Amino acid sequence: MIDIRDYEAMEKLSLSEAERNWVSSCAELLLKSFDELEKIEADVDPLITVLDILNIFREDVAVKKVSREEILSNAPEQYDGYIQVPKTLE
Amino acid sequence: MNRVVLEDCIMQKGIPVTAGSKILENFISPLTATVVNKLLDHGNVIVQRAKMYEFGIPNFFTDDSDEIPEAIKVVKDGVADYSLCNDLFGKYRRNAAETGCCYIHPTYGTVSRFGLIPLVSSMDQIGVVCKSIPEGLKLLSQIAGNDLEDGAMFPEKFYDYAKNKQSISVGIPESIVNKADQETQSAIKEFAEKFNSVNVDLEYFDVYKQVMMILSCAEISNNISRYDGIKFGYRASGYKGIDDLYIKTRSEGLGVETKLAAIMGAMVLSKNQYTPYYEQATKIRRLIKESLRFDAYDIIVLPCCISEDPYENLSLFALPNLVGLPCASFSYKGQGIQLIANVKNENLISTAWEVCMA
Amino acid sequence: MKYEVVMGLEVHVELATESKLFCSCSAKFGAEANENVCPACAGMPGMPAVTNKKAVELGIAAALVTNSEITRTMFFDKKNYFYPDLPTGYQITQLFAPICRNGWVEIETGEGKKKITLKQIHIEEDAGKLVHDNRTGTSLVDFNRASVPLVEIVSNPDFRTAEEVVTYLEKLRSLLSFAGVSDCKLQEGSMRCDVNISVREKGSDKLGTRTEIKNMNSMKAIAAAIEFESQRHIDALETGSEVLVQETRRWDDNIGETFSMREKENATDYRYFPNPEIMPIVISDEWISAVRESLPETAQDKYIRLTQKLGLSEYDSSIITGSKNLADIFDETMKYFNKPKEVVNWIIVELLAIAKGDNKGGDDVKIDCKKFAKLIELVDNNTINRGVGKKLLSLVWKEGIDPDVYVKENNLGMVSDTDMIGQVIKNILTMHSKSVDEYKSGNQKVFGFLMGQVMRELGGKADPQVIKKLLTDLLAGK
Ligand SMILES: [Zn+2]
Repeated sequence: MIDIRDYEAMEKLSLSEAERNWVSSCAELLLKSFDELEKIEADVDPLITVLDILNIFREDVAVKKVSREEILSNAPEQYDGYIQVPKTLE
Repeated sequence: MNRVVLEDCIMQKGIPVTAGSKILENFISPLTATVVNKLLDHGNVIVQRAKMYEFGIPNFFTDDSDEIPEAIKVVKDGVADYSLCNDLFGKYRRNAAETGCCYIHPTYGTVSRFGLIPLVSSMDQIGVVCKSIPEGLKLLSQIAGNDLEDGAMFPEKFYDYAKNKQSISVGIPESIVNKADQETQSAIKEFAEKFNSVNVDLEYFDVYKQVMMILSCAEISNNISRYDGIKFGYRASGYKGIDDLYIKTRSEGLGVETKLAAIMGAMVLSKNQYTPYYEQATKIRRLIKESLRFDAYDIIVLPCCISEDPYENLSLFALPNLVGLPCASFSYKGQGIQLIANVKNENLISTAWEVCMA
Repeated sequence: MKYEVVMGLEVHVELATESKLFCSCSAKFGAEANENVCPACAGMPGMPAVTNKKAVELGIAAALVTNSEITRTMFFDKKNYFYPDLPTGYQITQLFAPICRNGWVEIETGEGKKKITLKQIHIEEDAGKLVHDNRTGTSLVDFNRASVPLVEIVSNPDFRTAEEVVTYLEKLRSLLSFAGVSDCKLQEGSMRCDVNISVREKGSDKLGTRTEIKNMNSMKAIAAAIEFESQRHIDALETGSEVLVQETRRWDDNIGETFSMREKENATDYRYFPNPEIMPIVISDEWISAVRESLPETAQDKYIRLTQKLGLSEYDSSIITGSKNLADIFDETMKYFNKPKEVVNWIIVELLAIAKGDNKGGDDVKIDCKKFAKLIELVDNNTINRGVGKKLLSLVWKEGIDPDVYVKENNLGMVSDTDMIGQVIKNILTMHSKSVDEYKSGNQKVFGFLMGQVMRELGGKADPQVIKKLLTDLLAGK
C-alpha cells in the first residue's frame, strides 16, 4: 500500500484510518493506470486550455462590487473589520 | 416561461450555496451567476435548487448509476422543464439518457462561468438537462454568449443553433461500440443507418480516462484549496492553532471522494511527478485534440456505458471535456447514446437528433 | 579580506494600477481593513480571473527599462500553499513563461560602472496582510493587498557589497518610478527586497550555504541586515560555532538580528502548474513599441534636460531627478510658471523645508502645483515679498488657500506708492532724529537700523530696494 501521508500534509488533511485505506488503495489503482501514459510518445507542447483565444483583458478601472459587510458576514470569526484566525507567528 | 432548476453549484446572491459540501455550510453567496441573470431576463422562473453530491465528484470505483441526481429527477418527473448543472465525469449524461431525458454539454467557453463553483477550470461548463435536444438548445441560446466577467470565453455574444446542414455524416468508433451490450450496439447500428456513417478510430481512447483523471484531480485539488475555514463556510471547532484549524476544518468538511481527488492532485503536481503525470497528460491532451478528424465526419457517436467499472466508463465521457466539444446524450431505442460534434456545432447534434427521432 | 560575500536580490514592486490584477477592486494603498475586497480576492468561489491589461503594460515597461528580453507568449501559473493571507490557497504567478528574462541594470560603484544582470521579471499577485493582535492573542486578516499586481525582479548573484545592493535598489527605484511602473515606497511595502546571501573564500568558485533574508523596510535596514548576516556566515566559517543551513531568515529591525523562520519552510512543494483560467498573452512588436513610446522621460534624460536645456545647476538637477515625485512637481509647476530657476529654488529651499517639518521627504510631498506656481509668480513680479511668499506657501500646504485671493483679502500686496513710502520714512526719521544725526556724522551702521524701522512700519510689504533708495536720498537731504 502506498503511503499518502505527505500528500495529506500538502492538502492540509488528516485522514481517518478507514479513509486512508480506501484512498491509498484507489491511489494505487490509479497510479498503476497512469503508468500507461509513459508508453505514449508525446513530443508536443502541453495543451492547457482548449480555447484558441489569446489576450483576454479587463481595462484598469476600479469598481466596488460588494460591500465590506457582505464579505465579512461570511467569515466564521471577525474582529474590528478583520477576519480573525489563530496566531500565525511565534 | 420555463421552470428551471439550478444545481447547488450555481450561485444566487443572498442564498446559501454549498455545492453539496459540508465545507460550504453557512456560505451565503455574495453574487448571482450570469446564467441566472440571463434566465431571468428571458422570463424564466427558478423553481428550486437541486441537491448534488459533493462538488459533483462521483465515486470513480463504485457503480452508482442507479443513484439519479436531483437535477435530473426534477426534469424526469416534470417538476421543472430544465435544470442546469456542470457534468464533468459523465454521470449526468449517462443518467439523463437512461431516464429518458437529454443532457446538452455546450462547447467550452460559450456559457459564462461567472457564479459557477469552479471544480476543473479547464473543463467546467454549465450544461442543460432537458426533454429534447431542440428544446434544450432553445434554453441554451438564452444563456450562452460572451460575458466579460469570464476570462475564458469565445467572443460571440449570441449563438444561433438553428442553422442546419442537410446531410450529416456520423463517425462510429466500432471497437468502442462493440464493448457495449447487445441492445446498445444494435441501437447505435440502427442510428448509423439513418446517416452516412464511417468507422472512426479514436486514437488514445484507452488513456482518455487517465488523462481526464490526472488533469481533473490536479485542478480539483487547486480549486478546493480555497475552502479552509478562514474566510467563509465551515470552520471546525476545538482546533489548536492555525495549522490545526486548517486540517480539522478540511478533514471534517470534505468528503472522501473529494479527499481522494485532492490527494491525487497533490501527487500528480508534486515536484517529482509533475513531468511523468501532469505534464504528460497535458501533452496527450493535445494529441487527443489533434487526432480528431471532423473533416471526415460531422459527429461522433458513443455509448453511455461499456463497463460495470465507472473508471472504465470515464473514457466514454472524457472527450468533450478534454477538447471542449459540444455533446448531447439521450435515449435512443431505449439505450443511452451520446453525440459529439466539433466546436460550436451544437446544431449538427440537434439535426441528427431530429433525423433519428423522425 | 579573506572572504567574499555573494548576493542575489528578489525585489517585489507593486504596480501602479488603479485596480487589482485579476478583479476590479481598488488597488489604492491605505484603505480601511477589507474595504477593497470582493468575492474573488476574498477567495470565494465563482469569479473567474480576468487579467488587468494595465498590469501587463507596466510589466512590459519594467522589462524595457531593465533591458530585458520580452517573452512573446507568456502565461500565468498557480503556486499552491496554505497561509491565512493567501485567500484562494494559491498565488497566481509566472514560473514557466515569465514576462521577460536576461535583463541588466547598470550601477555606479566605487570602482566604476557595474552591470547587474537579471535572471527574470515575472508578474504575480500580492498576498493580504496579517496583523498580530495582542489584545485578543489572535491574528487578523486584511485582504486589501490581496491580488494587487506586483512584478518580482530576480537578479543573478552579482552583488558583493551592501553598497552595491543599495545603489542597485536606488537605481531600480529611479527607473521604475520614472517609468510610472510603481511608486516604489519601501515604507508602504510597494517595494520589498529579499536578499539571498552566501559567503565563500575569496578566489573560490564554489558557493557557500545560502540563506534568504526578508522583512527589511528601509535602505538602512537592508544594509544592516546584510552586514549582520554576512558576519554571521563568516563567524560560522571561521569558528565553526554554528552550522549554516539553507533557510529563510527574518530581519528584526529593533533587535538588529536575523532569525530563522522555521514554520513556513517545511513542506514547500508548491505544486506549480499552468493556470488554465487565463488565456495566454501574446506580446507583439506593435504592443512593445506602443509601450516604449508612451514611457515618460527617464531620470537620466530629465537630468540632462534640466542641466543642459534649462541651465539648472548639477546639484539642483540631481535633487529634482532623485525623486519622481519632485520631478513631477517641477514639471507640473513649470506648466503654470515657466521660470525653471525660480521654481527649482522654491521646491528645494522652501517646499522641502516645510515638508521636513511635517516629517515628509521628497517622495511624499504633495502640493497643488497651480497654487504653488501662482505664489512663486507673485513673489517674482514683486506683488509680495519673499517672506510673505513663504508664509503663503505654508498656508497652501496646510489649508490649500488660493494665493491670489488670500493676498487681496488680507491686503498683503507690496506697497508701490513711493509717496506713501516716503511719508513713512519721513516719520521714522523724525522719531529717530538722534540716529539721523549719528548717520550724518559718519556712522553708516545706523542705516541698517533705520531701514529695519521703516520695513517694520510697512509690515514688510514694500520692496527693500525701493526703501533703500528713498531712505538714502532722504538722509542725503534730497
Ligand atoms: Zn477583488
